[in-house]
Formats: sequence, C-alpha cells, structure tokens
Amino acid sequence: MKTRQIVGAISVALVASVVAASCGGSGSEGGADGTPKKGGTINILSNAEQIAHLDPQRNYTGDDLAFAGSTMQRSLTTYKLEAGDVGSEIVGDLATDTGTPSADAKVWKFTLKDGIKFEDGSAITCADVAYGVSRSFATDVITDGPSYAITFLNVEGEYPGPYKATAEQQAAYDKAVTCDGNTITFNLKSTVADFNYTTTLLTFSPVPKAKDTGEKYDMRPVASGPYKIESYEIGKSLVLVRNDQWDPATDDQRKAYADSIVYNFGLDESAMDERLIADAGEDQTAVTAGILPENLQTIFEGDEALAARAVNYYDPFVTYTNLNVKTLSCLDVRKAIYLALDRDALRKAGGGPYTGDFADGFIKPALALDYKKPTQLEGLNEDGTPNVEAATAAMAAAEKNCPDVAARAKAGLKFYYPDTEVWKKALAIWIDSMGKAGIKIKPEAVGDPAQYWPTVMNEETDYDIARGGWAPDWANASTVIPELFTTGGGFNITRNADDPDYKEFEAKVEEARNTIDRTEQGVKWQELNQYVVDRLWALPGTFTRAQSIWGSKVGGAFQWGPFGAFCYGNLWVK
Amino acid sequence: MSLAESTEDTQANEMSYIEGKSPRQLAWARFRSDRFALFATGVIAVYIFVAIFAPVICAVLGISPYKLDGQALNDFGLPKGSFGGVSGEHWLGVEPGTGRDILARLLYGARISMLVGFLATVVTTSVGIVIGVVSGYKRGKVDAVIGRITDLTLAFPSLLLIIALTRPIIQRLESLGIPEGNPARIAYIILVLGLFGWVYVARIVRGQTLSLREREFVEAARASGAGTWRIVFKELMPNLWAPVIVTVTLSLPGYVATESTLSFLGLGMLPPTASWGAMLGDSVRYYRADPTYLFIPGIALIVLVLAFNVVGDAVRDALDPKADRQSL
Repeated sequence: MKTRQIVGAISVALVASVVAASCGGSGSEGGADGTPKKGGTINILSNAEQIAHLDPQRNYTGDDLAFAGSTMQRSLTTYKLEAGDVGSEIVGDLATDTGTPSADAKVWKFTLKDGIKFEDGSAITCADVAYGVSRSFATDVITDGPSYAITFLNVEGEYPGPYKATAEQQAAYDKAVTCDGNTITFNLKSTVADFNYTTTLLTFSPVPKAKDTGEKYDMRPVASGPYKIESYEIGKSLVLVRNDQWDPATDDQRKAYADSIVYNFGLDESAMDERLIADAGEDQTAVTAGILPENLQTIFEGDEALAARAVNYYDPFVTYTNLNVKTLSCLDVRKAIYLALDRDALRKAGGGPYTGDFADGFIKPALALDYKKPTQLEGLNEDGTPNVEAATAAMAAAEKNCPDVAARAKAGLKFYYPDTEVWKKALAIWIDSMGKAGIKIKPEAVGDPAQYWPTVMNEETDYDIARGGWAPDWANASTVIPELFTTGGGFNITRNADDPDYKEFEAKVEEARNTIDRTEQGVKWQELNQYVVDRLWALPGTFTRAQSIWGSKVGGAFQWGPFGAFCYGNLWVK
Repeated sequence: MSLAESTEDTQANEMSYIEGKSPRQLAWARFRSDRFALFATGVIAVYIFVAIFAPVICAVLGISPYKLDGQALNDFGLPKGSFGGVSGEHWLGVEPGTGRDILARLLYGARISMLVGFLATVVTTSVGIVIGVVSGYKRGKVDAVIGRITDLTLAFPSLLLIIALTRPIIQRLESLGIPEGNPARIAYIILVLGLFGWVYVARIVRGQTLSLREREFVEAARASGAGTWRIVFKELMPNLWAPVIVTVTLSLPGYVATESTLSFLGLGMLPPTASWGAMLGDSVRYYRADPTYLFIPGIALIVLVLAFNVVGDAVRDALDPKADRQSL
C-alpha cells in the first residue's frame, strides 16, 4: 500500500506501498473525549487533487483504505474500528465471523450475514463478492490495487478478469471461488494461515455486476457501508451522506456519528496546518493527515491546547536505502557506506526524533511475532552518528578483497533522489558523510516525485543507491521480506538476484511462507530479517513516526493502528 | 525615485557646460547626476564583487557553505537561538535541517544565480535584437514569418517542454563535452531560457525598428547611398539601446528569479551547491518556524531587482531624455 505524500518529510514522502500491521504499544493514539453524539459534518482537509482510488479493488493507500473502509465500503472481515491494540484485531464484517479454514488452510469459507444491502436496497449476495474479487484480476482496467487475490487463488490457467474472460476462463475462476447460498469458498494455491487478514483488504468488497462501470467505477462506487457519495468533484470535494439502506444491526463496528463527511481537495499543505492551528469556524470540525516537520515544534512544544488535539505515533512504515547489489557486489563497500552514513544528521534534516527511531532491520517491533532485534553490524553506532574509522577500515578491506567495486565507490556512486528541497539536504548529508570515508556520491535528480519509483524500479536505470520505504500489508512479515528482497517481490529494488547467497535466501523464504504454525513462522522471519541485515542488500533507516492534528470540536480522533490513519467513519462532532 | 530633482539637476548640469559634447558624454553626465542611480550601481557592483570573490570572503570569515553543523540545531532540526540561529559564528544564522551557514550559502548562491541571470540575458538579448531588427527592417514576408514564430513561442507550453526534455537534453549536452553535473544543467537552463526568452526583446526591437526606419535621418542615410549594414549598425542600433537596456535590466533579475522556479521543477543545481532559487524554495516552508531564513534570500533578491530597475530607468533617461515614459 502507499502513503499519502508529504512533501516535507524525508521519512514518509513517497512511500510506495502500504500497510496494515499491528501498531501495538505506540503510546498516545489520541483522545478520550466525552460521549459521542450524532449529527454535524466532519471536514477532511487534503492537498491531493482526489482520492487515489475509491474503487474498492484499486484502493491500496493506508489513508484511503481507512477512509473508504470506515465509511462506504465493507469487506468480508475488518479490523476493529478502535484505538490501541484492539484496533489490530479482526472481526467478521459482511461475513458472520472471521472465516473457517480447512485443516491445511488451503480452503477458506465465509458465510455472509443476513440483511446486508447495497445503497440501492438490493441485497449483497455471495455472487457480488465473488464478482468484486474477480475484478482485481483485470489488471489492465483495475490498476494499482493489491495483487493478493491473483497470488493466492487457485485459478487454473490465465484469468484476465471478468471483462475479457472467455466462458472457459470464467469457469476456471468460478471453480476457485464458489458460492453455496450465503457461503463463499476460496480455494487457494497453497497454505495461507492468515487469509482472513487478507480479506480485510477492500479487494474482497462486493461489487454489483449490473452497476460496474469498469474504469469509471472509481468515481462512483456503490456503497455497502453507512455512507454513500452525494457528489465527487476532482480538485474540489467529495461529499458523503448517510446511506439509509445500511442496517446498523448488521454492523457492530461502524458508528456513523456524523451526518456527512466532506473531503476537501487541492489545499496548500502549509495552509492546512495553519487552518488547524488557528481552529476557526468550520475548521473546528476538520482533520488532516500529517503535519509538516517545520510545524512540529509549534504544535507539540508550543501550546498545550494544541498538543492536546494532535497525535504523535508510530506508523507502520520502515524507511531504508536500497543498494544496487549488482554494481555494489562487495559486502565491504556496503559496510563502509553504512558505517560512514550520518544517520543522526539525516534524521535531523527530516524533523528530528519525531520522524522516528533508527531502524535495526526491516521488520518493525510492532510485528511482535516476527520481530527480534537483529545483531547489528560491528562498529555501527547506536545513536546514529557515523563511525568514520570503521568505515575507512572497511574501505581498506574492500581495496584488497574487491578492488573493482572499491574503485567504483571512489569514482562516484549514482544516488537517485526525488528532487525536493528536503531531499537536496539529505543528499548534501550523504555527500558529506561518504566523503569522509573516501566514497564519492553523484546526485541524480528525478524531477517528478510521482516518477521516482517507476524510475528506480526500471531495470535500465543505472542507480547505485536509491531510497525505499515499506509497510506490511497485514501483521505478517510475509508481506515484508519476500516483497522487498525476492525476485518475485513487488518492491525489490536491490537487484540482489546474482548475490551468491540469493538462492539460499529464496529457499528459506519459501520455507517460512509454508510454515503453518504462526510462532514458528515468526522465528523464521526473524532469522531472515537478520540474514538481510547481515548482507546489507539495503540499509535500514527509520522506524517512522507520523503526526496529525484535528479541530477542537472533533471527537473520536485516534490513529487506527493497521493503517496509520484516522478512523474517519467513527469521528463525531462535539 | 526623485524624478523632478534629477531632471533639474540634469538641466543645471547641461547649462554649466558650454563647450560641445558628444551624445555619449551628455548621457554620462546626466546619469552621473542621478545620485540614486549611482547608489544602485554601487549595489550591483557589490553583488558582482561578492559573487566573484565568494570563496575568498568565506575563507576570511571562516565559514563554508557545505559544512554541516548539527550542534546548531535543536531536536526538531530547527536552528537553536533566536533569529534563525544568528550568532558570532553564523552571522545570518543557519539553514534548518542541516545547520549550514546561511551567509556562506547566500554568497555562493549569488555566483550561480548571477551567472545564470547574466548568461541568459546575454543570450536572449542578442538573439532578440538580431531577430527583432531583421523582422522590423525587412518587413513583408520575413516579418510575417518571424511574427508567427514569435506568436508560436509565446503560446508554447514552455514549462511542459522544459520538464519533458530535461534528462535527454542534459545527457546530450554532457555527451557533447560539457562537464557532467552542474555545468551541463546551467547550460541547459540558459538554452531553455534563451529558446523562450528572446521573444520579449525581439518584439520591442521590432516595434522600434519599424518606426525608426521611416524617420528622416534613416531616409537621409538611405538617400546618400548607405548600405543595409551601415543603416542597421550606425543609424538604427544607437537608437535601439534605450529600450533594449531597459528590457535587459528588467529581465536580468527576472532570470535570477526564474532559476528559483526551475529549481522547483527539478532543474535546479545538484546538491550540495547553493543557489538563491533553492534557498527561496526551501525557506518558504519555514515561514512560521524560522521567518529570518525566509527574509534573507528574499531581501537579497528584492534589492538586486530594485537596483537593476533604478539603474535601468536612469540609463534610459540619460540616453534618451525626451522619450515618453509611457511608450515603454
């Protein structure tokens, strides 16, 4: 999943893919503030021109999933719409419970509740869910969405989605996803012990076939939750009003306090912060995701009243630096880079400790089962300051062991960065730190931030160093380690396929994936995290934090752990 | 500007000298009597001096535009102390996030910004004059064709083109032997500004040429058998200087400002190089947390623009005291 882009922040700007990890133990999640009441309008302020995707099968951004999932769209299962650790527990949503797996967890059955309806009053049937899931296979039309249905479902042969499928191909899909009255059955290719976490994704939301408008469905999806779209104008606003066909008796999670929710687009980032700080008029019932780093001090250490309506929490992301393992095929050089890097200065440039803690690997402590602090590289300073001496020694070793790569590092390594003022500062710090270990950095600017990932993920781009940021799709490192470091992963930028250890690594990943016992599997992910940290295919950066602020008349504002976003549908007006 | 005063001064000056003077001497005398313009000229001279000798000045002051100073920042990465971290060590404070010295970056930034400004002005003005004179003097078909090209250039969505062509053209420039990195980027910026900037000069020059070529002294020159080259260089050009100089003095600071816009579009200098554009772009974000930082590059740019405007006006007055201000 992807985060909202915050131009200012090094840590969270441009993170490609998103989240849904448990965010347990993150301290202050937001306020307890009286008894909730119904009525009023919640305003959401945004600098985006539109919501990336409202089409449930295309929605893959933490913030947007939290928004659509808590207001308009229901899936088979959902995370509890609650603050704290409870918010990472799953419950049946459209399904009566969290599903029944077969003994080998290769077949999953969900039974739909009675009385669930779309906004037009028609009942939500098993066929609607099956149709919705099938849409995610049509990757030419239904773009940008999660691909877990394609990865997991045991559909024989090629299935191009419902729009282009031949009768034969459709029959193959219908064999993998079967309906029996109110019960939907998913036949999987292999064991997926936590498939009911996958079904929290809106990929598993129902779509009425008769109302499917393909690509255009993004603008006007049919609601199954307590709110429906009244109007949607790109660059201006999205207005949600109550959906009277939604029956609260079928939904014990969504509270739908506010009469309407208005998403305001195209606002200036600094102006958004300003308006929430000023807290006047309609802005008293407004919320916004994210605070610019330059305003952190004002909000958190200036005024207690301000700090009381803001939250500073661990979001599910880990930022890191990708090294091109093909060109930097020498571990000594990769070590030298890591040791010489002034991580403390980089963190300061992004806003200090509010950006997060120095990461010790690629799995965040919030993934409790999968996290064990990896043994750190010898000589690496815990406080993030550089160890120039050790870095110089590593370079000297590199001169002996792999003179070619050492020479390359001395001649200049290409660092691709998004061309923003904050990243220019980060590059200045990189250039300065590497210079002290005799490594030269050649900055390569990527002008359009939206083109950054496509650029560095392109095999033809001659990068040596590139940034990275990722959060698990649900609370299992199976959505982290394989995605980032196997050749089949969706976000592997490291080009590590030719590393002598890669084959062994891939075998271990396969083994971990097929381990059914979750605790045992967790130990395997811990070992694999250590495996990557030892080889430095990428350099751990920050276990990030995020901040947001809301108006003085907003109740129920907390950070919903799995998404690192407000639980929009349950906000209420004081 | 004290307009009335300077005109009186000028008249007083003219009256005190009786002996014959060349137009150039007269112009200089008029310019010299405008004290405000002289002051502005001094300001520009200081800017140029500072830009050229930035490394020397920084060495003398013991500051560097690249040295990071984490100690000068608080936990939020903002400068410690008041006024953006102004101290004996950092006279204008430090940059938020890195702790680099703002004075040093301002001095080094002046080099890039003025270099881009001057070179872009030279390119646009020379191209503009040539095209404008040809267009205005030849009239007819040539003028029509050039006129359409001018319109096309004005209507062209230049920013889109600039963004789209950045990488390929910079690579092409590098393969042509322009050093990789900032030199190639500066060359590209000037190329792009030249490609779209000549239009404004050309249109003014064409208009002037059209009216001048019908004037009696040009007729007289033509009647006495002067060739095209002579007419253009000896008769037209001297009368074109006034409007051209005003355009130049207005466009130069404009190009310095454009450099800041381009640095938003990924055409700025590569880090850690300092430029005013990058400083402005960065400092805007800190207007609440560190307003001093916003004012420094802003004031530097405003003073430069103002100085050039004052000098431009004064030069025009000196060269052509009878010209109607409104006509430009």
